[in-house]
Amino acid sequence: MRGCDGTLWPSLPCSRFLLSSSALLALSSCGGRQSALSPAGEDAAAIGTLFWVTLAIAVVLFIAMNALFVFAIRTRTFTLDPETARWILVLGGIVLPTVVVGGLLVWGLSLLPDQRQPGDGLRVRVVAEQWWWRVEYFPEGAEEPIVSANEIRFPAGQRTELVLGSDDVIHSLWIPALGGKMDMFPGRETFISLRPTEPGIYRGQCAEFCGASHAWMAFEAVVMEPDAFDAWLAAEAEDAAEPVEGAAARGRDLFLAEGCGACHAIRGTDAIGQVGPDLTHVGSRESLGAGRLGVTLDDFATWIAHTDDLKPEVEMPAYDHLTDAELADLAAYLGGLE
Amino acid sequence: MTRPTHPPRPDEDRREFSEEAASLWRITFAPVVWAGHFVLCYGIVSLACIRGLMPIAATRAGLVAISVAALVAIGWLGWRSFRQWDTAPDRAANVGETEGRHAFLGHAAFLLSIISAIGVVFVTLPLLLIGDCR
Repeated sequence: MRGCDGTLWPSLPCSRFLLSSSALLALSSCGGRQSALSPAGEDAAAIGTLFWVTLAIAVVLFIAMNALFVFAIRTRTFTLDPETARWILVLGGIVLPTVVVGGLLVWGLSLLPDQRQPGDGLRVRVVAEQWWWRVEYFPEGAEEPIVSANEIRFPAGQRTELVLGSDDVIHSLWIPALGGKMDMFPGRETFISLRPTEPGIYRGQCAEFCGASHAWMAFEAVVMEPDAFDAWLAAEAEDAAEPVEGAAARGRDLFLAEGCGACHAIRGTDAIGQVGPDLTHVGSRESLGAGRLGVTLDDFATWIAHTDDLKPEVEMPAYDHLTDAELADLAAYLGGLE
Repeated sequence: MTRPTHPPRPDEDRREFSEEAASLWRITFAPVVWAGHFVLCYGIVSLACIRGLMPIAATRAGLVAISVAALVAIGWLGWRSFRQWDTAPDRAANVGETEGRHAFLGHAAFLLSIISAIGVVFVTLPLLLIGDCR
């Protein structure tokens, strides 16, 4: 089980932890990759602290209320005079909740502007589609974007601006381990900025129901050391590598012959479609089908042949008429696009 | 409430309820101010931020002033209601006793002004803590 080495209760052995309470299990979600409780960035850490303090207050109030309840029905041997009772009601029923909720509200609201701060240079435009993500990187000063899809990479320790939109229905971008979330509307731009601190691969998820495959609309959020990020972005800006011979070359010919390029773009080839995700460097990504599968060659073949099973109502037709050999060639080509 | 000692008169109801008609207005006043303040805040901020009809700094200052006015209005009403409750001859003297109509309406209006004031403050907080449209 992944993530039982999480930061919540590090001293507890995994099995004991799992048995201890299903509620705690749900709370921890037993994995840091998509958990707001395992923050990997400044923004998520702030939200995490707010959560734990809110939880602590709630637990204290719950215990105190139950203690009072037991006291009132079991232990109490006297009658309060009406004036005292009234003050208990006013202080405990009006003043205390107002102050506690007001304090948490002030704290929570004061966190919001932090996630709207200007970034340190990099701007990423993310446009949600049913059910995937267009991703465009604008390094500082860039006019033209570096186009990618279904994965957002961040330089660690820097604040990255995310400009969000949607092409069809309302979606929402949420990377729990890094911060957020922020809704994405057709015809409107929204903005959020995140400052991840821990390099690693986290998981983002559409957080607004957006149709049949909403649950499968995810992505990998990759936080890299700044130098590695710069190298990766430079590679991402390049055209696709041209396969010379063998399976990959056959796969490229098949890709073009099957008309894949009507929907997908692979820079440096005749494939310039804009309907589906850009595949120029799909082989270097951490997932396929917007977080649906891994990126082994088998995953590529499975995805191409069974899109509608893996992602109900997805626009891309399943290419189940291709032979296994053809699928393997396509997989070799796409997997090689690093 | 005292039992009538005379035969009914044609305008008796109107006279008896004339003051309570004002009470009924009073009881709705505070929540209406809260609701109006809420709609104004959301509507005007949307016009400023989404439509760009006016600068957000001036909008914010104007809405904070409106919030203060709303709180003053609710405070005044709350005081009136408190007096209506506190000085009512039919106010319940002890816990468990029935409250007369006049005292009850004042009491309810007073409590509603408290919750309305809290509502107005909570709606105003984003204006104070989030400085711009982002």
